[in-house]
Amino acid sequence: MTDVLDAYATALVDIAKAEGNLDQVKHELLDVADQLDGHDALKSALTDELVPVARRQALVEDLLAGRAHPQTANLVGFVIGAGRARDLGEIARRMAARVAEGADATFAEVRSAAPLGEDQKNRLAAALSAAVGKKIDLRVVVDPSVVGGIVATVGDTVIDGSVRTKLDQLKTLL
Amino acid sequence: MNQLATVLAAEEFQAHHWWWPETKEIIWGGLAFLIILLALIKYALPPLKAGLRARSERIHEQLERSANAKADAEAEAAQLRADLADLDSRRVQILEDARVQAAKLLEEGKLRNDAEMVELEARAEADIASARGRSASELQHQVGSWASETAERYVAQRIDDGLRHELVEDFIAKVGAR
Repeated sequence: MTDVLDAYATALVDIAKAEGNLDQVKHELLDVADQLDGHDALKSALTDELVPVARRQALVEDLLAGRAHPQTANLVGFVIGAGRARDLGEIARRMAARVAEGADATFAEVRSAAPLGEDQKNRLAAALSAAVGKKIDLRVVVDPSVVGGIVATVGDTVIDGSVRTKLDQLKTLL
Repeated sequence: MNQLATVLAAEEFQAHHWWWPETKEIIWGGLAFLIILLALIKYALPPLKAGLRARSERIHEQLERSANAKADAEAEAAQLRADLADLDSRRVQILEDARVQAAKLLEEGKLRNDAEMVELEARAEADIASARGRSASELQHQVGSWASETAERYVAQRIDDGLRHELVEDFIAKVGAR
C-alpha cells in the first residue's frame, strides 16, 4: 500500500513539475484533501464506488472551477478515476514531502486553532528546523478542533502541543 | 377190489369210535401237521423270532432312553433347585447393595447440596460486590465525563486570541529548546 501511494505521489510530482506549476498544485492538492477530510458528505460522494467515475470527476471539476488551477482539478480527477479517492490526503502529503526532499528540505504541516502571523510562521519554521536538523517546508492549516496551541507533523514525527490533546488526556485521567 | 372196499367199509363201520379219529386220518393228519410244523419252523419261526427280538430290543431301547431322560430331567431339576437357591441369595445381595448404594447417594447428594449452597452464596456475594464496583466505576466514569465536558466548555469560552498567541509562542519556545 505504502509503495502504491508513493508511486501516485511521485507521478503527481512529475506531472506538475512537467507542467511547471508544482508549488501551486502541491498547495492546492493539500487544501482539497483537507476540505475532503472535513466534509463527510463530500468525501462520501467522491469515494462512492457505485457512482460512476465520470460523474465524480465532473463534480470535482465543478467544485474547483475558478477556485484552483485546472491542473489540480485534473490530478484530483485522475486520483478519483484510479479509485484512490480515499487516499487523496495521504497522496497529497507524500507529494508535498517529495517536493520538499527535492529542495533538500522536510515537509512539515502545522495545525493551529487560529491563523499565524508571518513572523510566527518564520520562527516556528526556524524552531522546527533546529529540532529536526533540516530545512523546513512549512504548511499551516487552521483547524478549530485544536482549540489552542499547535500540532506539528514533521515527516513521521508528531509534536503535539494542542489544548485538545491536553483536554483528552484530562478526560482519560478522570 | 370191490369186495375189499366193501370189507374195509364194513370193518370201518364196525371199528370207528365216536371221539377217536380214523387211523388214516390220524396218519395223514399227523403227516400234514408235521409238514406244516416243519414248514413253520423253517420258514415262519425265524422271522417271528427276529420280529420278537427286534421288538424286545426296541422296548429295551425305549426303556433306556426313558431312563436317560429321567436322569437328565432329574439333573436339570437339581440344577434349577440350586439356581433358585443361588438366586435367592443373589437377590438378597442385590437388595443389600442397592440399599447401601442408595444410602451412599443420599449422603453424597446432601454433601453436594451443601457444597453447592456454599458456592451459590459465594457467587451471589461476588456478584453483589461486582455490581457495587461496577456502579461505583460507572458513576466515576460519568462524573469524569461531566468534569471533562465542563473543562472543555470552560476552556473554549475562556480561550481567546491572546491566549492562543501565547500558546503558539510557548510551543515555538519549547520546540526551539529541543
